[in-house]
Amino acid sequence: MSKKRMFLRMVTASLLRRRSRMLIALLSIGIGATILAGLVTIYVDVPRQMGAQFRSYGANMLILPQEGAVLNREGLAGALESIPRDELIGAAPYRYVRLDMTSRQQSFTAAGTDFSQVPKTSPYFSIEGAYPENTREVLVGKSIADTIGVKAGSTMELTYQPAASSEAAGPEESRVPDAELAGSAEGFGGGIVYVSVKLDGQAAIASVEINAGTQTPEYGGRVAEDEAFLNQFIGKTLPLTLGEDTDALTGATVTSEAVVQAINTARVAENAAKPQTLNFTVTGVLTTGGEEEDYVFMSLEDMETLTGSEQLDVAELSVSAGAEQLEAYADAITQGSSGIQARLVKRVTRSEASVLEKLTALVFLVTLVVLLLTMICVSTTMMAVVSERRREIGLRKALGASDGSIRAEFLGEGMFLGLLGGVMGGLLGFVFAQVVSVNVFGSSISFQPLLLPIAVIVSMLIAALSCLLPIKRAVAIDPAIVLKGE
Amino acid sequence: MSLLELKNISKIYGELKALDNVSLHVDQGEWVAIMGPSGSGKSTMMNIIGCMDKPTKGEVLLDGVDISKESSKSLTDIRRDKIGLIFQQFHMVNYLTAVENVMVSQYYHSMPDEKEALEALERVGLRERARHLPSQLSGGEQQRVCVARALINHPELILADEPTGNLDEANENIVLDLFAQLHREGTTLIVVTHDPEVADAAQRTIVLEHGKVAREVINENFGK
Repeated sequence: MSKKRMFLRMVTASLLRRRSRMLIALLSIGIGATILAGLVTIYVDVPRQMGAQFRSYGANMLILPQEGAVLNREGLAGALESIPRDELIGAAPYRYVRLDMTSRQQSFTAAGTDFSQVPKTSPYFSIEGAYPENTREVLVGKSIADTIGVKAGSTMELTYQPAASSEAAGPEESRVPDAELAGSAEGFGGGIVYVSVKLDGQAAIASVEINAGTQTPEYGGRVAEDEAFLNQFIGKTLPLTLGEDTDALTGATVTSEAVVQAINTARVAENAAKPQTLNFTVTGVLTTGGEEEDYVFMSLEDMETLTGSEQLDVAELSVSAGAEQLEAYADAITQGSSGIQARLVKRVTRSEASVLEKLTALVFLVTLVVLLLTMICVSTTMMAVVSERRREIGLRKALGASDGSIRAEFLGEGMFLGLLGGVMGGLLGFVFAQVVSVNVFGSSISFQPLLLPIAVIVSMLIAALSCLLPIKRAVAIDPAIVLKGE
Repeated sequence: MSLLELKNISKIYGELKALDNVSLHVDQGEWVAIMGPSGSGKSTMMNIIGCMDKPTKGEVLLDGVDISKESSKSLTDIRRDKIGLIFQQFHMVNYLTAVENVMVSQYYHSMPDEKEALEALERVGLRERARHLPSQLSGGEQQRVCVARALINHPELILADEPTGNLDEANENIVLDLFAQLHREGTTLIVVTHDPEVADAAQRTIVLEHGKVAREVINENFGK
């Protein structure tokens, strides 16, 4: 039998035939290794776990058209190719326009979007009712719902009035005798004021009809009824200048300006973009605590029907990646596609990075403390083992064991314990991490095969380190103690 | 030919002279008993002969080498190579079997050899008990394993400390018979004992009193 085999036989016999002591030492190493392995697993997995968590705070990247360019669905789809599919949680396109609800004399911002993506990029949306599933269905912000008194199941008629051209219509339109013109302009508070103008045989204004839309009835709203205000236009030739050939209605200056602008930009009815009106059913009321409560959300298809345009204003992206990676994706999108730029929502990405940093630092610290505690625990146990085995050590030395052999034997036992504890810790640690992950983060983690050898090596190292002091004690034992039994 | 020679050795602990100018001469192949009451300096002498302690003064020549000046590391080497130890308390590694305990001695000396270890156990009549743990052996059996362990490396000197102190008469006789066998084979034996019967088995008895050699008795009946 070789010396090596005898060494192994002695070391394993010491552990296997003295089970109770071995169990205590093994438990201390095993539990230490378990917590270590578990924490390391969590440590490694935290960015991924938290990444998924952070995504519930909303989008972290925006895709916008560059100045003078137009963003549409094709452009967006092209941009999204720069982001790996498994990291892209969702991408919700938005098109914002002002719509009128003439029946209530209200106007509000409507957002056309893709309802399949909204819950992914804005998981914090809380809905009373349901997301729209079909066209002609809308989701109404809480504050709008309160103002106009709608709830899930209500219907609402929404009108899109194309923005008036800011340039006055040319003479060939506004100086045509007997023409009927229609125009609109933005009045007080963003509401649209509509005008219909009839010209007489000399192309002078014969009559003006005003629809004040959502203007406050007591103020701007009066432009539609105030006879003196309406009559001042009769007989005038376009274009008009407020303050020169016409006067503003007292207390309604902004609306008056809008009326004049609407008249000046009015076009022959057929040439003017026609208002589009659609009937919608409300499927749900949205509560967010934020500005979204002032919006009406509808499908992009409805938005395109209303506006006749496929233009998008912005797309909100939720990407599960670290700050640096996000930066790289944003750069790739901005450089890779013309007319499109990607921006990070710094508010989200920065706080993510800082929370992540703190969390990993915390886990690291706890890992360190556990490491230390394990070492103290193993060291204490080995110390007890040494004093329990003083006689045996003395005997071995009396039989001719050198200090080196005593060291090797105890180190061997310690590292063998480390090996067993490491295997146990590697496996149990995964279970521990899984339990923590499921309970704290609500998601499971996958087993890292590399963890097992790492746990084993670390446990063996810890065991070896913990044995240093006890071994020093063991080596110092005087072989003479075996004579004259104490 | 002289195997061990103590030349005027003293061991002094503060005020106490455990050994006071003691000289002793043991020839190769001799069987010597050392007797004396408690505190007479037996243990100190045994420690010095067993290379586990060094005298304060004097020379110890073992096989011609002065071990009183050696480092503790080389004392370990000398003990391993030249001396087989037998103790009163048996002292076995309690988680190793009988044969493994014998092999431990081989392991530190040179190379473990299970066949040889089993032969040594056979010699002390414990071949069948080779796979038993110390807790499964009687005191006499344990001491016989210790004898097997002491002789396995063919030491020049077997040093026994009260080898029969914890044994009944039957086992005492077995152990003494084993000593007689070893003596016939030429092994030098030094047996420290209280027991006159054990001392009588030896060729010569040294009696220590107050750290000095009080007298020396030659056993006229030896071998009869």
